[in-house]
Amino acid sequence: MQLRIDAVTKQYATVTAVNQVSFQIQSGEIFALLGPNGAGKSSIIRMLVGMTKPDAGSISVCYQDQTFQHVPRRLLGYLPEDRGLYGDKSVEKNLLFLAQLHGLGKAEALSRMVHWLEVFELTERRHDDLKQLSKGNQQKVQLIAAVLHKPALVILDEPFSGLDPINQEKVVDFLKQLKKNGMTVILSAHQMAMVEKLADRMVLMAKGEVVLAGTLADIRQQAQPEVQIQLSSKVPLPADWLRSLEAVTRVELPQPEQALLTLSPDADVGPVLQQLLGRIEPEQIAMQKPDLHQLYLNAMSRHQRQTPQEAAA
Amino acid sequence: MISRQSLIVARWEFLRFFKWKQQLISYLLMLAVMGGGFAWVYLTDESRQQYRIAVPGTLVVQNTEQFEFQRPSIDLSQQLQQLRDHQTWHAVLAYQDNSWVLYTGASSKWLPQLEQVLQSYFQMQRAGDFGLTDAQLTELQQPEPIARNFLDDDFKGEDTPEKMIAFAVLILLLIGLSTAFGQILMSITGEKQQRVTEQLYAIVTPQQWMDGKMLGHSFSALKAMLTTLLVMLVFFVVISVIAGDGLDLSWLNWWVILWLIPFALAGLLLCACFMGAIAASIDDPNTSGKGVVMMVTWLPLLFTYLVIESPSGWAMTLLSWLPVTSFAAMPVRMSMVEVPWWQLSLSLALLLAAVYYMRRLGGRIFLRGMQMYGKEPSWGDIMRWALSRKAD
Repeated sequence: MQLRIDAVTKQYATVTAVNQVSFQIQSGEIFALLGPNGAGKSSIIRMLVGMTKPDAGSISVCYQDQTFQHVPRRLLGYLPEDRGLYGDKSVEKNLLFLAQLHGLGKAEALSRMVHWLEVFELTERRHDDLKQLSKGNQQKVQLIAAVLHKPALVILDEPFSGLDPINQEKVVDFLKQLKKNGMTVILSAHQMAMVEKLADRMVLMAKGEVVLAGTLADIRQQAQPEVQIQLSSKVPLPADWLRSLEAVTRVELPQPEQALLTLSPDADVGPVLQQLLGRIEPEQIAMQKPDLHQLYLNAMSRHQRQTPQEAAA
Repeated sequence: MISRQSLIVARWEFLRFFKWKQQLISYLLMLAVMGGGFAWVYLTDESRQQYRIAVPGTLVVQNTEQFEFQRPSIDLSQQLQQLRDHQTWHAVLAYQDNSWVLYTGASSKWLPQLEQVLQSYFQMQRAGDFGLTDAQLTELQQPEPIARNFLDDDFKGEDTPEKMIAFAVLILLLIGLSTAFGQILMSITGEKQQRVTEQLYAIVTPQQWMDGKMLGHSFSALKAMLTTLLVMLVFFVVISVIAGDGLDLSWLNWWVILWLIPFALAGLLLCACFMGAIAASIDDPNTSGKGVVMMVTWLPLLFTYLVIESPSGWAMTLLSWLPVTSFAAMPVRMSMVEVPWWQLSLSLALLLAAVYYMRRLGGRIFLRGMQMYGKEPSWGDIMRWALSRKAD
């Protein structure tokens, strides 16, 4: 399955939720949509699912020599952002109902359900009403509901929200398993550490527009990350002197003896290091590679600073 | 055509509200309440007792089964004292200031009956003053019988078991509509609040979803009607056996009951589609005023009830043909007058066509209404959605 989103725009009343967004998703990959609240991720997902239509641009979904304008229901597993199941019904009844709606027979649905409940350690809760489960466990049941029918494409809107770190790791393993089974996965998330572990490719969005796109390496390159130097000493560091260095754009001092210096992207690191070593006797000095979280924050702050003329350019 | 998914949703919705244990308990409670009511009426029946009434010595009133008239020799104040002390008398009649006064402790159910006996006595007395005999007075009081002869061969008669069936049909439909009203409102607004909507939209089309819901709730309402009918019959049988009348169900018109089922089911579907569309536009049932509009579906029952005494009149005929009212009016009309089968079939066909149209109309509103969280659409929005072509 291949998805192509081409110059898609979606407007709600006076708000442009998605503005000229384009990207492609390849078969069998895990693709992440990143961005703050209101970036347009859920709007794109709703258009992919077919709940809404683009006002401009196009979506094409290619599957086995056929092309669709949104993901056909039979190929889709979906975990919406606004989600819930029937709280007054048991886990088993909820899952069987949704599986049967997807066309699965009862026996087949039961055997798959047993497998996934075991994976998520929910076997004991099978006959409990959904409302008796914790929020995290309810979310796991919803994840199972999204994949029970083995869809070709799984779209998960914020799959990590509401989960503790242990369960977040479980979901990471679960998504890796889906990829191994040949499913294409689209997810939106705020948890950068999780996305970094999982996503083959991603887009970073802000205010309905794509800010960065590609693999993690591509994004690092596009982001022109600011170089960071981590410094520690036995004595308190001269904060004012550090701030006065020409190439340094930001100084953070978590402790008086520790500092994180951010250099401008075009700065030459060598002279800065020479200046530091000439004044300070460092206990430790290291260059730091920004993680996705940092890249994301940098990209967002740059996007916010951008003038409308720059954005247009 | 109804899809497989719609049937799965219908089964789910039907079983969601099918809790047989609770239902059994509620019917037993209903029987107990009805039994308790009868027991209370029996226990408080004052007509089974005889009451002693003091009357002036000048009156010679004949005793009846319920009243024993005595002419005490003591004066009125002593009689009233005895009445106050709950001794001897249940009532005292006296002639004071040129009029009759009836003294009792407090108002009682048997007082009108006593007054009737006394009035009858005074009328006899006056008749005697005019020189009339008792027999002449009785004849004078007898109304002239006027027999009603109905030339319409289709009319089954007044105060017949058929009329009782007609009332029962209306009561059963009221039960069906009330059941559907409660369940649809709870189910749809509940789903919106539990955020099930998007999950289901990704699996079934809104029309499939609504079709399933409406089918499930209509069958649920039909089940409520049939079980109520069964309980009513059981109660009737028990009362007949206790009263020693034996079991006689010959008055039951099975032809009407057989036609009632398709009319009721189609009517319930029609109303359910309307209710579903309105419920989908409700965000919070506790604060929304739109729920009241769902009660519009009860109007056909009211209109039919208001013309039930004229089953052959133009109003009942019109109601039995109009697709939005025929589900209530036609079964009532056919239980009181003979209606040819082709009229029944044609009326049912029109009703089914209305169901199909309402299903499409409701589906369009349902599609958009279910996606609205946090705010409600205006009536203008709802009308615009209903008239648009988009349903999936």
